[in-house]
Amino acid sequence: MSAKKTKPAVAAKAGARGAKKVGADPAAAAKPGVDPVAAHYANGVVDDIMVVGVGGQGVIVAAAIIADTALLHGGLEVKLSETRGMSQRGGSVSSHIRIGVTVVAPSISPGEVDYLLAFESAEGLRLAPSVVADGAAIVNTQQIVPPLAASSEHAYPYDAINRLMECSRKKRDGGRGTHAGGACLTILNGNALALQVGDLKVAGVVLVGALSTHLPFAVETWEQAIARNVPPSWLEMNLAAFAAGRRIGGIEGSDET
Amino acid sequence: MDTHLMLGNEAVARGAWEAGVQVAAAYPGTPSTEIVTNLARYDGVYAEWSTNEKVAYEVAFGAAVGGVRALTAMKSAGASVAADPLISSVYTGVCGGLVVIVAGDPGMSSGMTEQDDRYFGRISGMPMLEPSDSQECHDFTRLAFALSETYDVPVMVRLSIQTAHQKSIVRVGERVAAPRKDPGRHTDKYCLLPRFSRPLHASLLARIADLREYAEASPLTRVEPGAGAAGAAGAGELPLAGGGRARIGVVTSGAAYISAREALPGATFLKLGMVHPLPIEAIKRFAATVERLFVVEELEPYLEEQILAAGVVVEGKRWFSPLGELTPVRVGRGFYAAGLDLPRWAEAKAAEDDSVIPRPPVLCTGCPHRGMATAMKKLDLDVHGDIGCYDLTSLPPVSHVHSAVEMGASIPMEQGFTRAGGSKKGSLAVIGDSTFLHSGLTGLLNAVHQRTNVTVLIQDNSITAMTGGQTNPGNERTLAGAETKPVDLAAICGALGVEHIDIVDPYDYEACLKALKAGLAYDGPAVIITNRPCVLFPRKLGADGVYEVDEELCNACQQCLKLGCPSLHHTDTVFKKRHKVAIDASTCAGCSLCAQLCKPGAITKVGDA
Repeated sequence: MSAKKTKPAVAAKAGARGAKKVGADPAAAAKPGVDPVAAHYANGVVDDIMVVGVGGQGVIVAAAIIADTALLHGGLEVKLSETRGMSQRGGSVSSHIRIGVTVVAPSISPGEVDYLLAFESAEGLRLAPSVVADGAAIVNTQQIVPPLAASSEHAYPYDAINRLMECSRKKRDGGRGTHAGGACLTILNGNALALQVGDLKVAGVVLVGALSTHLPFAVETWEQAIARNVPPSWLEMNLAAFAAGRRIGGIEGSDET
Repeated sequence: MDTHLMLGNEAVARGAWEAGVQVAAAYPGTPSTEIVTNLARYDGVYAEWSTNEKVAYEVAFGAAVGGVRALTAMKSAGASVAADPLISSVYTGVCGGLVVIVAGDPGMSSGMTEQDDRYFGRISGMPMLEPSDSQECHDFTRLAFALSETYDVPVMVRLSIQTAHQKSIVRVGERVAAPRKDPGRHTDKYCLLPRFSRPLHASLLARIADLREYAEASPLTRVEPGAGAAGAAGAGELPLAGGGRARIGVVTSGAAYISAREALPGATFLKLGMVHPLPIEAIKRFAATVERLFVVEELEPYLEEQILAAGVVVEGKRWFSPLGELTPVRVGRGFYAAGLDLPRWAEAKAAEDDSVIPRPPVLCTGCPHRGMATAMKKLDLDVHGDIGCYDLTSLPPVSHVHSAVEMGASIPMEQGFTRAGGSKKGSLAVIGDSTFLHSGLTGLLNAVHQRTNVTVLIQDNSITAMTGGQTNPGNERTLAGAETKPVDLAAICGALGVEHIDIVDPYDYEACLKALKAGLAYDGPAVIITNRPCVLFPRKLGADGVYEVDEELCNACQQCLKLGCPSLHHTDTVFKKRHKVAIDASTCAGCSLCAQLCKPGAITKVGDA
């Protein structure tokens, strides 16, 4: 995990954006008397989180859980914007969540995504160039082939995961990959994990669990946010899905496995 | 503190409820739909989905004339539909407060045009507030009701899609009752006969002058000092690319304010909350305090032209395009081009990898529009479409629609097209149930009356689908949940004088072809009505069983892929250089159209084989 370059004040997002580490520093959390959330968002740091997928996959619920977690923690500004238009018709969808002490715009500017959460591998590949060099991408192995693949000049990228891993590896080695895909890449089969805990429908919450290890919020806060966004009869399974994702997210270099 | 994360539209609804609104009427339209959806959930509010925006406007206007606070909400195109009462009601004024929400769509995420709705303020004289985030959506809507009653005029709250569809934190308040006022009887106020409307126009000009005075001194017009303490030496001074510094001032409002603040946090801002009438004296005073004055606004140079007309030098559209949504990066790139030293925006960064196959929205699995769309494509008809989900068939792989312009256009355009000579293989109008009831009826009546030989397909899915499943007069219940009598589309067409009316199951491909041929062959106006409900609303297609492909039998002809169904996709198996096809059983809705198109009989219902 490298520290983000300190940019000149004028160039920084939301004023002076200081050096920022991707992911919560577990040591800071362990230190008594240090609020890990306050420490994480000090010096004008804004977390830019993008959730992408295909309409109907649950991107909007996942985004709501992430935003509500920051809201429930309190003392932070949260802004969110979503794909507009006919998003429930199987098209590409994305949600932007921005968290910080002060947040101005509700959408993330190109090339400034800190954390990319992709529900579908081709959508992950599509948005990878928007991730900052020391950002993190969490990509579900699911592949949804659009009907256009039958008539389009573009082929569906069945090799999306391999391409993402290659870019990430180049980034870590200090080379300049074709994608600014982010040095930290987590690949997981969220659908399989969701089925293990009970139902495919909770795959999105598995992915949220993997993301949660990068953010400074307490597990209890995440769980409260999940409770706000899922039906009570589904809560237990969603909490299990979250825990399963969180275990994966905690594994260093999980793309190697 | 009672804070919530709210959509701009939810915050508008909350603000209206707190202001004591009692009647809300709208026709659904992205990006304004959620306003009335949310208002319907509050106690003490009568909310309805009206048949169109003009009707909705008149219902809300009538309620305001009747002495209660009322609201109507619409998208840009809806404001054009409602323009007649919108303009007239500014002359008459109101009794209870009337607030008109118009949500524009710069960037055309779903709108047909990106018209600049701020000009409605200038055409009509209606005062216009423009919020930037959810808190302002809430606060400005509350304030708009008070202004409406104080100045005896409807007040517009103009949203951009960015403002309407972002979520940010709102501190909410409580509802303050607004008891009904005595409406009295005021012929000279509400009858726009020339003898009454002439003095009303003069009164309107006086009301606008008073509102301008209000805007000049109002907290809605706010100076925000730039980097450094207010008034300190160097405050608001920003570095220039060529060296040196300049005190930069930015006049802006609405969504553009947010983008400009994100792009250039160090500048000094004059944020306008009221954009009609414009507080021009405040702008002049502000201009005198800066070295370089910019105006950042989405779409047309609405502010820029008025500021220039007041003799103030300002830079605007030269740097900030009138096309599309003005995102932070586009504003930042504009300031960079204007010579400011802005490392964050110095280079254009890639947002996404364009080489990855695009994934546009498609008709849902099991959509009842698909059968007719495929049949019309097969017959190679010229289709004059309308506004609804069926517009998606103008895209590959179906791509057969000739026109789809505005609500209700299909039937009159088909009539004119027929008068122009029609087309060899035949042409027809395609319209959905909600759009037909919105503004299709009068077009059909005209075609019948004019004895034009038109063919009309009503794709009746018994809901207003594209905006998310709102009720319309074809439904058994209203938005408020009251039982009502669903309208009989065939009976209406019969009453209008149509003699050939055919009701068809759109899941039966052969029946679709047959009905289209019969309708086109009929000598006189003909109407075909499909009879399957939307697969998403109000209930999902019955789990009648899903379909599967026998890979051995599949000859990779890919006829089924012409349906553009999201549940059908390639497999890795290739036959005669073409991919065989598989069905995703987890999403198949069981409509059976692919099985009907499958010549080798490879597609069968799971369990039937």
